[in-house]
Parts: sequence; structure tokens; C-alpha cells
Amino acid sequence: MNRKPTSPNCGLLHRDGWYLAPEGAAVHAETRTAVIADVHLGYEWARGAGGDCIPAHSLAETQARLARLLGRVAISRVIVAGDLVESPKPCARTREDVELLTDWLNEREVSLVVLAGNHDPRQTPALAETLDVGGWTIAHGHRPISSPRTITGHHHPKLRAGSVNVPCFLAGPSRIVLPAFSANAAGWNVASGRVPEGWDPRSLRCVASAGDEVLDFGPVAELARKLKGV
Amino acid sequence: MKASQESDGESEAEEPSRARMPTAHDLETNALAHLAGPVRAWFEAMFPNGPTPAQRLAWPPIASGENVLLVAPTGTGKTLAAFLSLIDRLHREHADGTLMPGLRCVYVSPLRSLGYDIERNLSGPLEAIRRRTGDETSPISIAVRTGDTSAYERRKQREEPPHLLITTPESLSLLLSQEAWHEGWRSVRHIVVDEVHALVPNKRGADLAVSLERLSARAARDPQRIGLSATCRPAETVARLLTGPSRTCQIVEAPAPEGAPALELRVEALVKADEGGHRGLMYRRLLRRLAQTFAENRTTVVFANTRAFTEKLTHDLRRGLEEHADEVAAHHSALNAERRRHVEASLKGGRLRAVVTSTSLELGVDIGTADLTVQVGLPGGVSRCLQRVGRSGHRVDAASRGLLLAATPAELAGAVVTANAARAGEVEPLRPISAPLDVVCQQLIGMACGGEWSADEAFDLICRAEPMAGLRRADFDDCLASLAGELSAPAGAYEPEAGWALRWSAPRLWKRQGRFGLQGRRVARWFWSNVGTITSEESVRVFVDGVMIGTLEGAYAERLQAGDRFVLDGRSLEFRRLEGLIVHARASEGESALPRWSSDRQGLTKELALSLARFRECAAGLLAEGPGRLETWLGTTHGLDRDATEVLTQLFEGQERFSEVPRADVLLVEESPLDDGYLYTFHAPLGYSACEALGRATAARLGRRFGRDLTLTVADLGWSLGLSDGARLSAEDLVPVFAAENFEDDVLEGLDRGDLLARRFRHVAATALMVLRNPERGRRKVGGLLWVSQRLYPLVKAACPEHPLLRETRREVLDDVLDTPAARDWLQSGPLLRFRALRALSPFAAAWVVPGEAEPIHFESPAEALKRLHARLLST
Repeated sequence: MNRKPTSPNCGLLHRDGWYLAPEGAAVHAETRTAVIADVHLGYEWARGAGGDCIPAHSLAETQARLARLLGRVAISRVIVAGDLVESPKPCARTREDVELLTDWLNEREVSLVVLAGNHDPRQTPALAETLDVGGWTIAHGHRPISSPRTITGHHHPKLRAGSVNVPCFLAGPSRIVLPAFSANAAGWNVASGRVPEGWDPRSLRCVASAGDEVLDFGPVAELARKLKGV
Repeated sequence: MKASQESDGESEAEEPSRARMPTAHDLETNALAHLAGPVRAWFEAMFPNGPTPAQRLAWPPIASGENVLLVAPTGTGKTLAAFLSLIDRLHREHADGTLMPGLRCVYVSPLRSLGYDIERNLSGPLEAIRRRTGDETSPISIAVRTGDTSAYERRKQREEPPHLLITTPESLSLLLSQEAWHEGWRSVRHIVVDEVHALVPNKRGADLAVSLERLSARAARDPQRIGLSATCRPAETVARLLTGPSRTCQIVEAPAPEGAPALELRVEALVKADEGGHRGLMYRRLLRRLAQTFAENRTTVVFANTRAFTEKLTHDLRRGLEEHADEVAAHHSALNAERRRHVEASLKGGRLRAVVTSTSLELGVDIGTADLTVQVGLPGGVSRCLQRVGRSGHRVDAASRGLLLAATPAELAGAVVTANAARAGEVEPLRPISAPLDVVCQQLIGMACGGEWSADEAFDLICRAEPMAGLRRADFDDCLASLAGELSAPAGAYEPEAGWALRWSAPRLWKRQGRFGLQGRRVARWFWSNVGTITSEESVRVFVDGVMIGTLEGAYAERLQAGDRFVLDGRSLEFRRLEGLIVHARASEGESALPRWSSDRQGLTKELALSLARFRECAAGLLAEGPGRLETWLGTTHGLDRDATEVLTQLFEGQERFSEVPRADVLLVEESPLDDGYLYTFHAPLGYSACEALGRATAARLGRRFGRDLTLTVADLGWSLGLSDGARLSAEDLVPVFAAENFEDDVLEGLDRGDLLARRFRHVAATALMVLRNPERGRRKVGGLLWVSQRLYPLVKAACPEHPLLRETRREVLDDVLDTPAARDWLQSGPLLRFRALRALSPFAAAWVVPGEAEPIHFESPAEALKRLHARLLST
């Protein structure tokens, strides 16, 4: 397996050795860990159960994006911070997609760790709710977490302004919110300036990727004002 | 069913015991000659002046069993013209004791409420005839089948089909897909399609035409088809939609009854000269003018074009009427059906002073005694204008009176040309649509719901419908393959694994050895709850105190915040919260914002746009000879009052002073500054579709040149392009922008770079039932349709670039939205290019082009656009 240097290709260095990678992953270089969230595998099969006839795509898109990440950074573990699958009652085809993804990662000597999200099925043994890496606690974020520093998903932050509409990170001293890994997830527009209760919009910065680059758009609290007239 | 075939209603000529067949002379002297017994007696007692021209002309060919298209103005007795000979025939069979139960006639109306109307209009005569015959109940049974019909009624109709079934295109399609109804169609002898002209230019008509073929194929013999139409051009096009290319059709065009007063149509300006067109002032003046018309007339119908404006007007008019507030009501398609029917009944019963409607009262519902129609803003086309004016004086002896109110100088000029064309009866030609593949897909699923099919037979049947006459077998096969989930991905599609076959989530059909059928009963369920071709924006339901009031557009509801006020059903409401697809609101007081509806835009027809361009040019020519000449022309030739004349004179003077009035052979380009760049407004005398083509091509050429995103706004007589961040044009730069070479390619590039195709695709995907409007277990949240444009469209494009629904989307845009040949021909005619750099928007640009909705045209990758945004934010 081709091992690449961990920096500067990892993306934007946030703090404590955590990088924000253009693919929408938080990467802890030292432990060769990538954290992603909201993959929503089986999105098409869930829509199919409702009657839509659409092409399969979420496994292929997930693999393509992971392949770009693995080509950039040396990773031996992918942690999904919740919502690996779309439906809490996954169909056979979704389960098959999860197996295919696991095999695909294993072939590349990467292990897959899945934390519980609100979309993920209840199973025994239950999925772990949290996992600590490099002093930060990783969780889905649909329930309150009492940890000083957290990496979560669930909210699908997006930056919308004019013709721009891209997923983004929110990153602060004690909080990283991941963009949805799935392109199917509808977003919460951070440019509105409104954040969930208990979050500090002055310390949370909006970080979005433009191709291979990661751009820092500054604190969420100032975004709405700056974007006026764009 | 067998018995009813034996009682064939059209065989009286062979039975000497029946009444003598009338001779041609009889019919000329007495159109009633072929009616018999109680039906004739009733008609003579009821209508002592005899039949209307429409009835006199239509009865003989209908009685002889020919296919007939009856073209007649509203209020000329069309219903009885179509039905009386059938009613007569059934009564004769009843008298002979040969009348059998079972379907004899299927009546299809594009409007649900029209169906109920017809039922009432037929039940009255049937009851009156019954009293004459002394029967206990009328021997003729009627039933209405729409989406509102109860489960009990549905079962009853299935078990004992009525003689006369009144239904809509959607419900007919649904019934045809049910096996339990198959036998029932055998006895059908007549099909009546009302307002058939309204079905020509759209997919609903194409869908109904195929349904009629399916019905006819199930009947023991090809049923007679009778179409009813308002004034239309060309009537042959309408007739072909009714009968298909293989049958003959007699077209009966009935004149208005003798002595009928001519149409009265007036144009008035709300705006006055020297006013900046202050909206609040115009609005207050409009309210006063409307209140005045309400006082002068018994009943007034006001057309307000958009549902939002309908709501606002109703609300404010009611507030002005205080204790008489209940005498004004709103009517539009986002209101609850029961509420709509209540308003229609109140209107007919004379309990309302006025009804404000968007467009929903345009078609045939009998609204009784309205004596004036007011159109606020432009109707867009002549046939629409006439149809609206025809809603007043809806009786044989009363004149139709209409008033066009214009709030801006541009509207006033548009109203003048619209009224001129309407008085001259210059109805626009109807343009039929050709082989829509999304309709083919929906029909194939509907057909499979009723049982297995041979693909060859299905193809032959579909092609018998006029809109499908040009359907290619290869396209049909692709539709079948896509429904069976068998379309494959091209080499190099995005899937990383080798040997991959494209998988589809829920195929509708199986397909083997030349046959096809349904892939499971759940597909039938999906079909039944999603049948139809009416496109609509995603909507959410609004509840006040647990009662549903109506619907709002989903995108609008999503932006509301707790405490925001909006108007619905003429009432002021306060938004509380959005839960999934339900808005909870409460009654409120005070100023309310208007709901926005994006589907309401009414452009001018090409013919009216061209008339408007000629009118502008003519006015400028007269103005050059002196303002007096222009004022005289406006006053005497166009019948405008002093105020209106001054307003238009000022508009033309202003444009000539500030820029110039473009002549027919001139392409005028005006530059005006924007906050962060320049706006280029192009004036061309071509109509919306050709301007759309020119706008796309010029956007592509300028986008390539500057390598960045721009915005495009298309209008009836021009278009505008917004360039930002220092991009600027000179007169010399413009010459290559209008080259005729590679014009078609650049139009296509301008399309691909914009979002029109993606927006259209979601309606195509919904019509083809690829994506269900009402999915199993219901939709849960807003945003599903947006996903179809933003995600599904590119996914299907990547996975299967020649997918039939992508082809249909392109066909729709290229055939129905764009007029590329007209645009190219005009460029090749070498219009004189004139460029003017202005300090601000010219009066013409502000009036006609810029108010439209701007569409982004992308020439940057998302990454580039994001980097440019980042750079701009850093610099602020």
C-alpha cells in the first residue's frame, strides 16, 4: 500500500493534529484516522421503497470520494460518525452496499468503524455512541454530549450564497461539525447566521472545500453580514 | 353487457316501427324534427324561441353518428347541443322497452367543477322530462367520477355503471387501468370531450388522446366522438386531437345567436401621466376602481392573474366592504375544492357581489349572471382574454363586457394591443405537442395495470392518438426498457467497478419475448395515487385551528418564520410552524406579505408581442411628427381616454429622450450600471421564444469570453444579461456576439449552462412516474422536487445520457420553449446594431425586460465560483 506523507496534503490544520480535508473528512494524521459523517448509503433504495425509480449511485459516489481521500492521505481507519445508512430499516440491497463498502476498504487495508446515528438501525450488539481520538470525542451529534471537544455530523452544514451551494465544516476551538459525506443530504445554510442552541457563532468558522483546496470563510456570526449583496 | 349491445341505439333507421326519419328539408325547417316524444315536448316548452344556431347545426351530424367538433362561443347551448340527441335516443329505447343498463356515453371535462356543472345541467332536464313521462325515476342514470368520489360511490359505479359517466382525463385514465372496468367499456357508443381546445397544446391532451384510444379499443365498436370547443384556430388541429389521424370529423362552427350584442371591451389606465407609478398609490386606486365597478354592476368577476394577487385583492376589498365583506370571495386552484365549489354556487346563486380569481374561472364553469369581467394586468393572449370576457353575460341574449385595467405604462400598451386583437377576434393558432415520452411512460404503466400487453399492439394503439402519430418505435422501446429498469450505462460512466450494470431502484414493468406487464401490484398502487400530467410546484397544506384552508408553495413556506404574516383565502394569517408538509397558522390582523407563486408568470403570445413591437414603432413614428399626432391616434384609433393617452405619450417621449424606441430592423443594446457590474438589455421585436434562443446564445458567447457566471432574464421583446466584477462590453465587442454561425450550438450551450433543463426535468420525471409526487406512505418534508433538479437530473445524465426522459426534456425545451429558427432568421436578416451606454435603465428596459426572473448561467466550476466568493469576502 502506497503510504503518503501526512502533511500538507491532509487539508487545513485545525488544532490538536486534526486536519479538515477537502473531501469533507476530519483527519487525525498521527493515528491515520479519517472521520466522516452522514454517508446515507441506500438512499436510492429508500426512495425506491416509496416508489421512485432512480439509478443506484450512493455506493459509487462514496467510494469515489473515499478513493480521492485515500490517494491524498495515509489512512488506516475510517470512522463514520453516524448515519452510515439512510434507512433505520435497511433493505437487503442497502446491507449489500454496506458489505461492499467494507470489503472495498479492507482491500485497501482500511478498517471501518461505525458510530450510532439517528438513521442507523438498532442492532445487537448496539453500535457505540462515541469514540475518543486524539483528545476529541467523536459522535453523531443528534443527542447532547458532555465532552469538552467534539467532532459530530447530523446537521449537514452548507454554505449558500448566490450561485454557490456547497457543503462545509464548522470548526471552533472545542467543536468540529462535519459536512454530510452524501451529496443527497439536504443542508442547513450556515450563511443564515443561526446556529443550534449552545453553539457559539463567533468562534465557529465556516470552512469549505474548492477542489483540492480548503477555504476559511471566517466566523459564522459575521457571514450573513459579509454575504449581503453577493 | 351483451344485452346492451343488442339494443344498439343507432339502428332506428332499420326499424320501420320507429318514428319516421326526418328528411333534409325537415331538418332545415325544423331542427327539432329528429327529436321525439317527451324530449321534444320538453324542449319546445322550455325554449319557445327554438334551438340556438349551435344546436341547430350540431344535432343532425350528431344524430347521424358522425364524429363532430362543435366550435361555439360560451352561452350558446353547447351542453344540450351535445347531449340532447343522446337523451332522446335513450328515452326512445326506454319507451320501446329496449333500454339496457350499462355505459353508453363517457363525458370528459378538463375541469372537475365543469363535470359537476354538467351533471346539474342534465339532471334538471331529465327530471323535467320524467315529470312529463310520469316515470317514477328517470330511466337515464348519470354518475360523476372524479378524485373526490367516495369509495362507496366508486364501488356502486363499478358494479352498476351509469348510462352517462361524467369524468376527468385523470379519472378516466385511472378507470381504464382497472381490470374490473374492462367489460363495462364494451357498451360505450359516445364520447364527449368538453373544452377540447384547452387540451391541444399540453400533455394532458396527449394523455387523454391515448386514453380515448384505449377506451375505444375496449368498446364493441368504435364510439362516436363529440368535441366541444370555444373559438379556436385552426379548428382542424382541435378536431384531430379529438379523433386521431385515422377517423373523419365534421367541424361545426356555430355563429353567435342572431342579434347577440357584440363584445364590449374597454382599456383604462390606473396610472396617470407624471406619476412614477408608485405601487401603493396604484393599488389604492385599483381598490377604489374595483369598488366602483362592484357598485355599478350586479356581479363582477375580477381576474388577477396570480394566486398571490388574488389573495391580496380579496383581503383588501373585503376589509373595505366591512359588514358586506362576505359578498366578495376568492377563487383559485390552491383553495380547498369544497371551498371552490361553495364560491361557484354562491356566485351562480347571486349571493356574491364579486369574485376575484387567478385563472381558475377561465374555463367553462357556469357562473350564472356576472355582468362584468375586470382583468387586472394582462391576460397574455387573445383567446385567454376572450375566454375571460366571455365569463360575463353568460346567457344567450346578454353582451359580454370586459374591462382591462393597466397599472403601468407597459401594461397599458400591452392592454391596447390585446384589446384590439380581441375585438378583431384574432385568436392565436394552437400548437399541438408531438410524442411526449413522459406521457408514453405513464400510459404504459397504466396499460400494464390492467393486464399483460404485447409491445407491438401497445405501440399500434398509442400511435392511433394524434399527438403520438409521430412516435418512433425506437423511442417507444426505450420507454419500455427504462420502465423495466433495463437501460444500461454507457462505457466510462462514473461507476468505478468494472463490469457494472446500471441498477434502478424500483422498476415498473417486466419485459420479455415481446410482451410486458406490471412488476408487482405495488406499482399499480403507485400509479393510482400519482396518475395525471398536471405539473405543479411542491405544495404544503395550511391549517388554522385544525381546519385546512388551502395550500402554499413549499419553497415559500420554508422561508417563513414564526410570526410572519401571509394571506390565504382572503384572510390574514400568522405563520406558527412548518411540520413536515403542514403549515400551522392562526388568524391574524394587520399588514400581510404576499405569498409568492412561481408558476404564475403570464408572458405575451408571440402574435401579441409582435403587435406590441409594431405598436411601439408606429407610436414613435407619429411622435416624430409631433406629440399631437400620437395623442390623436391613441384617442381615436385605440379609444383611449385622456389620462391613458398622456401616459403612453410620456412613455414614448421618455424612451426617445433617454435612449430610443427600437425599430423593427434594429437590435438595440442598452448598457446600465449595476451595484457590482453592468446590465446589458437587448431589445428585439421577436416574442418570448425567439428572445429566449437569442438570450441563450449571447449568454454562452459572453460567458465563454469572460469565463465567469452571468445572469439571464428573458422577456417578450428582449432579454438582459448581468455581468459582474469588472466585465464590460463596448459596441465593437457586440458584433461577434450576434454572428449567425454556430448559432444553434451556442443556444444549446446556453441551455446546458443554465438551469432550465434541470427545472423542466423534474416535471417530466413526475409525469413519467419516475419520481412520485405522492410516494408510498406520503411525502414527509419539503425539498423533494428540488432534489430531482439538483441531484437526479445530473445523475441520470451521467448514468444514461440518452435516457428517454432526458430526450423528452430537451424536446420540450427546444420545441415548446425556444424558437431558434425565428431567432437565427432574424439575425441573418442583418438587423442594425445600436449600442447605448446609459446612466440608468431606460424606460423600455425598466418596463418590459428587467422585471423578469434572472437565471444564473454557469461558466465557472463550483470550485472557481467558491474561490471567487472567498476572494470577494476577504476584500470586504
